[in-house]
Amino acid sequence: MSLAPTPSANSVHRRISAVGRITRSFFGQIGAGTRFVVATIRAMRDTKDWIPEFSTHARILGVESLPIGIFIALFTGIVLALLASYSVGNLVPPYFVGTLVQKTITLELAPVLTGLALAGRVGANIAAELGTMRVTEQIDALETLTFDPMSHLVVPRVLASTLMFPVVVAVAMLVGLLSGWVASLVLLDITTPQFLKGVRIFFTDFDVRYGLVKSASFGAAVALIGCRAGLNTQGGAQGVGRGATRAVVISAVMILVLDAFWALVWLSGRTIR
Amino acid sequence: MTTSRRASDFVVGATVLVVTIVVIGTVLWLKQADLRGKTRHIVVRSRDVGGVALGNPVVIRGVRSGQIESIALGERGWVVLTLGIDRGTTLPSDPVVLLAASSLFGEWQATITDATGLPADRELRAAISESRTTGDTLAGAVLPDIAQLTTLAGRIAGDVAQVADRVQVAFDDQAARELRESLRNFSRLSTQLATTVERQSKNLDHISSDVQLGLKSINAAAANLNAFSSRVDSATSRGELQVIVANSQTAAKELLAATSRLRDVVDGLDRTEGRLASAVSRADSVFNKVNAGRGTLGLMVNDPALYQQSDSLVRELRVLIADVKKNPKRYFTVRVF
Repeated sequence: MSLAPTPSANSVHRRISAVGRITRSFFGQIGAGTRFVVATIRAMRDTKDWIPEFSTHARILGVESLPIGIFIALFTGIVLALLASYSVGNLVPPYFVGTLVQKTITLELAPVLTGLALAGRVGANIAAELGTMRVTEQIDALETLTFDPMSHLVVPRVLASTLMFPVVVAVAMLVGLLSGWVASLVLLDITTPQFLKGVRIFFTDFDVRYGLVKSASFGAAVALIGCRAGLNTQGGAQGVGRGATRAVVISAVMILVLDAFWALVWLSGRTIR
Repeated sequence: MTTSRRASDFVVGATVLVVTIVVIGTVLWLKQADLRGKTRHIVVRSRDVGGVALGNPVVIRGVRSGQIESIALGERGWVVLTLGIDRGTTLPSDPVVLLAASSLFGEWQATITDATGLPADRELRAAISESRTTGDTLAGAVLPDIAQLTTLAGRIAGDVAQVADRVQVAFDDQAARELRESLRNFSRLSTQLATTVERQSKNLDHISSDVQLGLKSINAAAANLNAFSSRVDSATSRGELQVIVANSQTAAKELLAATSRLRDVVDGLDRTEGRLASAVSRADSVFNKVNAGRGTLGLMVNDPALYQQSDSLVRELRVLIADVKKNPKRYFTVRVF
């Protein structure tokens, strides 16, 4: 009498095991990510390690990203003004173009589009830089010399990104609004008082706060994902490339997830009043 | 610290500062924040605020004069709004606040108007009266928005549809035939009326010619009157009327003096009448006594013998006098010594 499992039983076993593997991997990733975030927060206590590096990373990640943000916002504002005019036509007064441009730029497009663009630039930059340090064993050397890679490498990048993303997004908001204004004047025959009336009529400072807080969370997420991808890089130059790609993809997805999260937290059940 | 790091510090610091200042400035500009204290605040209370939101415009006589700065629930079911309006704005003499939709697209506004200019809506006026207080707080009320009006219009449309159904039920085939017959009768009637009118119009022509003649006479009379007026005008211009008026004044004065004198005469007559009455009264008394035969005169009047004696005495006196004239020495003797 044989005790060997039948083929059908083997198939079921494999499938259940696959579900278990995916679940373990999913929660393993979440757990590893959470541990990484907690380690970063703990490393912030070592101010002597990260403060000297902060401004350098703030300039690289933030100030040098301003042209990208401005470029994106410039065209976004123009497109939005035309899109608003095309969508509503003569159904609503022309000053609603100003309202749509202001609301859309401030609440959504400036933070998200700029965040996605910076996810490519900043996330890839951090992942590639740290990945290269990992594969060239510079990080191992730091650890050997008792330098904490978290406080030296991760914290300044995360804080710089968290602080400078809102700065870039704020500039993008202003540029988007200005370009929408100019497009309305030049292309849509909407006067400045009409556009300003539309902008002001439903404007609240909450719009700006919402966009800036959201962009700060995007900055933190992009930097954390890039740092983790860089520190976990394996396998030489190819591994660095894979790490950078993974960092960009996960950052982009995380930006959209966080966008939905903030919308649920702050906008759900809230009206303009 | 390297030069590169110092440069990074400056660049990052400058960027953060500039962006922060520009963003705050833009937000304040868009919110039309009152940084120079040019705004004065007015408190309004109302039972409801409808769709009014923070930042909605405050309008006076159609001109934007400020914005709604706060909305809060108050005591006893009131809602308290704070309006920020330009300090130089003059409010109406009896200001009240109407909260109403300013367009079909969800925009609301607060309109400050005079209580006398409120729409003739009983409920609105009642709401304003209820919201009034003795202090500086203005009374407010919400005008029905387009959704409420649409609901009401829908209800009215339903009622009209019901009425139309009833009319359709009432106008069956029989009613239609009767209506058709009525229309025919009406057509005949109108034809007869037209004929009558044609006849009467001829009569009216005659009458109008007579009226024209009458008008000519009136015109001639008016011309005469005009000529008379012009003569009066010329007399006035030569001063004759002034003379006539002066003479009239003199005559009036004399008439006044004559009246005064006449009044004196009348007064004298009154007094004379009094005295006469008194004399008559006394004479009446005397005559009564005479008639009663009292006193000498009474006896003389009422006793015929006395009359006869007196008459005889008179005759004898006449004889005596005649005798005296004839024979004076018989009766008179003159002696000197």
